[in-house]
Amino acid sequence: MKDQIMAPDTVAADIVVSGRGVGKTFADGSVVALKNADFGIKRGSFVSLVGPSGCGKSTLLRLVSGLIAPSSGAVTVHGTPVTGPRRDISMMFQKATLLEWRTALDNVLLPTEIAGTPTQADRNRAMDLLKLVGLGDFAFSFPAQLSGGMQQRVALARLLQTGADILLLDEPFGALDEFTRERLNTELMRIVAEVGATTLFVTHNISEAIFLADQVFVMTSRPGQVAKIVDVDLDRPRPLSIQTSPAFNALVADVRETLGAV
Amino acid sequence: MTNATLANDARILDRIIRFVPHVVLLGLLIGAWELGARTGLITSIMIPRPSAIGGAIVKLYVTEGTIWRHFFVTLTEAVVGFAIGASVAIGLAVASSLSEVFKRYVIPYAIVLNVTPGIALTPVVIAWFGYGMGSKMALAAILCFFPIFVNTLTGLVQVDEDREDLFTSLGASRAQIFAKLRVPSALPLMFAGLKIGLTTALIGAVVAEFAQATDGVGVLMSRFSFQLDMASSIATLLSMTVIGLMLFYTMEFLDDRIVFWRRESRRAAASRAAARTWSGQAGK
Ligand SMILES: Nc1ncnc2c1ncn2[C@@H]1O[C@H](COP(=O)(O)OP(=O)(O)O)[C@@H](O)[C@H]1O
Ligand SMILES: [Mg+2]
Repeated sequence: MKDQIMAPDTVAADIVVSGRGVGKTFADGSVVALKNADFGIKRGSFVSLVGPSGCGKSTLLRLVSGLIAPSSGAVTVHGTPVTGPRRDISMMFQKATLLEWRTALDNVLLPTEIAGTPTQADRNRAMDLLKLVGLGDFAFSFPAQLSGGMQQRVALARLLQTGADILLLDEPFGALDEFTRERLNTELMRIVAEVGATTLFVTHNISEAIFLADQVFVMTSRPGQVAKIVDVDLDRPRPLSIQTSPAFNALVADVRETLGAV
Repeated sequence: MTNATLANDARILDRIIRFVPHVVLLGLLIGAWELGARTGLITSIMIPRPSAIGGAIVKLYVTEGTIWRHFFVTLTEAVVGFAIGASVAIGLAVASSLSEVFKRYVIPYAIVLNVTPGIALTPVVIAWFGYGMGSKMALAAILCFFPIFVNTLTGLVQVDEDREDLFTSLGASRAQIFAKLRVPSALPLMFAGLKIGLTTALIGAVVAEFAQATDGVGVLMSRFSFQLDMASSIATLLSMTVIGLMLFYTMEFLDDRIVFWRRESRRAAASRAAARTWSGQAGK
């Protein structure tokens, strides 16, 4: 099992995010959230992180984002160890986490406002991003006037407004209904391809993980670890119907087996 | 535009129509009271007839106008006391939200102040600040402190963790998290505290007047009661209700405008304003 983890065919220079022996414990070491994770994410690739609830997916994402520090090992981004939040990484959460006193546009502008004073160019960019996520007509609406799916679109625009080339998404559409989620997933694929970002996407839905990704990191729990890395060699763009193809089902079986085997 | 005006007219008419039953009910109650007093069912010495109260109101507020000086004294005491109490409460709440240590040392005093019946401080406050308006303002400030302090602190501290993570991941400084996240998140609760505080500040001012004072509606009312002029006493009481309503609705108005994002009509207005600002900027 160990040899599958090392992904030997990757060229080191192409890896933008890597983890070596990354571990994280909570509550003075009594909770092992993540144990000895090794992984590398290629520039511009889409990686899904799939695993049962509580296996340490969010923990891994927060380690990469610099929100928390590892108990052992190190996460490296663009060749430098992650020691805290950084501008080349941007994160999105399951909850839209919009500020309800700001319009959609002003919510998208928040990252720019935190980094400095927004210029007209920044505002135009925010407006363009809202159009990109299909909310051009709702730029001046407040979060309470938007549906759950629309709120997540605003959060997606805000994620892109940072200009970061590494995007971390923690079950971003997990609270939405099936139809909305599928549509947003399809759009997410289109958008990250368009901006050329490297994406780490957390989900507990196996089909969704495979459908979106170039690679799936399969995580198992107790203790949380990256048990297997599955390459998804399916052509893009992928229609929704690809999910019934034999190749897709073989990948689902592979992931399922790993999840069930431990 | 015409449609908006029509809708507006319809809304006003709707409100008037809904108002009617209240007026009718109040009229019936007052009528029954008047009838009871006239037929001797209610002793009119202790409980004056509505018509007698009406006469007292006309005398106090219009023909003699003696109440106005007292009215403004009490209003000033309540408002100034409230402003002092609210400033201290918000200041300490902000400091407590910024420093764990500060909070640990402030909270015990706040709790002691809260469990001690504030009204029982009246004699002490009068001894310290004298018979004038100072002691009334002091009691008003003390009584309004706690609800404002607790609500503001709770609002500042209870911030959604995911939002805090968002700000942290965006590299926000503590000052930015405070100004852009904590303060706006705290506003709804802070206003809830301010509304309670305004009411308790008025209680403080009036209670201190009852105890010892030369001016204010509290003094006037106890003087009338002492003279068994119950009609004037109740007419004076009404002025406290008016002060209370004025203060409450002022705060309600501010709450509605400042915490605008809770009401759809306000959100819609803010939304339109933002769109106008955008077109203005884009034109440049
Ligand atoms: N701040 C924390 N304190 C204590 N335990 C935590 C903390 N964060 C996560 N954990 C524990 O670590 C494990 C992994 O959590 P998490 O990464 O959130 O899982 P997932 O996102 O896969 O559902 C869980 O057992 C969780 O209870
Ligand atoms: Mg999680």
